[in-house]
Amino acid sequence: MIKDLPELVEAGIISEATAAQIRHYYFQKNPQPQNRLLIAFGILGALLIGLGIILIIAHNWDELARWFKTVLAFVPLVVGQVACAYTLLKKQESIAWREASSAFLFMSVGASISLISQIYNLGGNLSSFLLVWMLLCAPLIYVMRSSIASLCYLIGITYYVSETGYWSRYDGGNPHLYWMLLLIPLPHYYHLYKQNIASNFLTFHHRFISLSILIALGTVAKSSEEFMAIAYMSLFGLFYLIGSLFIDEENNEYKKIGALGTVAMFIGFSFKWFWEELSKQDLRLLSPEFIIAALLSLLALMLFFYKQKRKPKESFNPLELAFVWFILIFVAGIGSYILATVLINIFALAIGVYTVVRGSKQNHLGILNYGLLIITTLVVCRFFDTDMTFVVRGVLFVLVGIGFFVANYSMLQKRRHHEQ
Amino acid sequence: MSSRNWLIILFAVMVLAQLAVPFKMIFDREKVLSEGNTFKFKTAPIDPSDPFRGKYITLNFAENNFEVIDGETWQNGQAVYVLLAKDAYGFAKIVDVVKELPDESNNCVKAKLNYVATKKDSTKTIQELNVEYPFERFYMEESKAPLAESMYWEVSRDTTKITYASVSIQNGRAVLKDVFIGDVSIRELVKAKQP
Repeated sequence: MIKDLPELVEAGIISEATAAQIRHYYFQKNPQPQNRLLIAFGILGALLIGLGIILIIAHNWDELARWFKTVLAFVPLVVGQVACAYTLLKKQESIAWREASSAFLFMSVGASISLISQIYNLGGNLSSFLLVWMLLCAPLIYVMRSSIASLCYLIGITYYVSETGYWSRYDGGNPHLYWMLLLIPLPHYYHLYKQNIASNFLTFHHRFISLSILIALGTVAKSSEEFMAIAYMSLFGLFYLIGSLFIDEENNEYKKIGALGTVAMFIGFSFKWFWEELSKQDLRLLSPEFIIAALLSLLALMLFFYKQKRKPKESFNPLELAFVWFILIFVAGIGSYILATVLINIFALAIGVYTVVRGSKQNHLGILNYGLLIITTLVVCRFFDTDMTFVVRGVLFVLVGIGFFVANYSMLQKRRHHEQ
Repeated sequence: MSSRNWLIILFAVMVLAQLAVPFKMIFDREKVLSEGNTFKFKTAPIDPSDPFRGKYITLNFAENNFEVIDGETWQNGQAVYVLLAKDAYGFAKIVDVVKELPDESNNCVKAKLNYVATKKDSTKTIQELNVEYPFERFYMEESKAPLAESMYWEVSRDTTKITYASVSIQNGRAVLKDVFIGDVSIRELVKAKQP
């Protein structure tokens, strides 16, 4: 807009005074347009220099005395701390300084601990190392007001929960601690959300937090794993609703993950083996899996009603309530696995058809083909677990192929017609 | 107090904590090295299919099994304390494995219980704990580690030569000091072999 102002003034569309007012308006709205490139390269530079120094020290020079190697292990840590102190005292308003020095210190803390482990030949326990590292760096998020520290912290605690909950499950770490650790960066996230609605850091936080929760949820599973299917489905529903309620951007991270996850779950559970197993299981109510599934479903349902109240005019999207359909199918599946398999296939097909129709209405080739892809995937999956003859399967494939051609061709025709 | 002052105080606390953790690590290990009891752990041939891991040698110890009668009360992965003594040749041997750190513990090291094995022979069933010591990595200079590791592999399959790790132990903590082939440090051997 500001770039076009001289041209508009020259053409006599607006006066010089109006142009000045517009400039003033945008300057007020965003008083400190700090260069995004400078911030990105600042962080990248700090990380590269930090990693470089660490790699040089990690060579583990044999000729050096142990005390000297130990002193060297502190060098990156102290450099990072001095850089952060300088930023705090002299450059507090510069995002580039804050983020770059925090990134450097974040890496150095982990590096100095592992360098000392190396000097003393400590095999060590990865999960306790990660926990100590993350706790030592968590204050950076608030002291330095650093989003990169918050993002690194999220990666770290996600690694921690995966290590303690999946990979080294019997090594004595506590994966449930993750949920407490997750609370630490949330005030910063909320602050970003309130202050800076269009920043890149906010988008990254949306993505990292939703993916982190998604990864961590599975660590709850112990014995009644079947309920985790409901827990995941409701989590995707929750994400979708959060995305459509609280974030203005149309294609935001929550909506994308929620929608993709829901579709993937429906296709994944369209095979009959899960339902066959389910009908044989002795399900234990009041297991941790059941409680977490119930809580997530309740939360998603509450959010759905809240959305109906707040945005009553917005058209209803069946993906928002997919988790409810899934719960009903799940209950049906306990009684009859055939009924559940048929119902879930019908629902998955319905999502595909709905997406195709929506793409066609919005004149959007991407959405249209995404819908067709859902249907195709479903057909391919049925290729493996049904006893249909090759002829029937062949006919199905030909039909879907024709569907792709017809849908795309007719949309392109429609567009051409509109252009004329 | 202004919010800026609070930030500076919080920053100072964070800096101190970040320095304290590595300092404590060093302090604890130096204490073990100066006051601890030194044991020689005989090594066992390592699985040659184990991939090369980088700049450290992976050690495998001969003395890592201990027979028990209450095998079912132990859990895989749990922390255990291994009580050690020296055999006639001065090598470490396991005297007992317990679940809590004993009071008098200059001969005790904290380890991880890998698994409980049940072995049957014609007369009875034996239950055996297999432990993993916290000193199975010996770090070396990057350029020397591959040569050292291949030497270690070669020698540990040769029954005429004894390979062992020298480990200082105190209050459940252990610090690996050096690895010896025959009676010569592997560092010296590598140095002599390197062009």
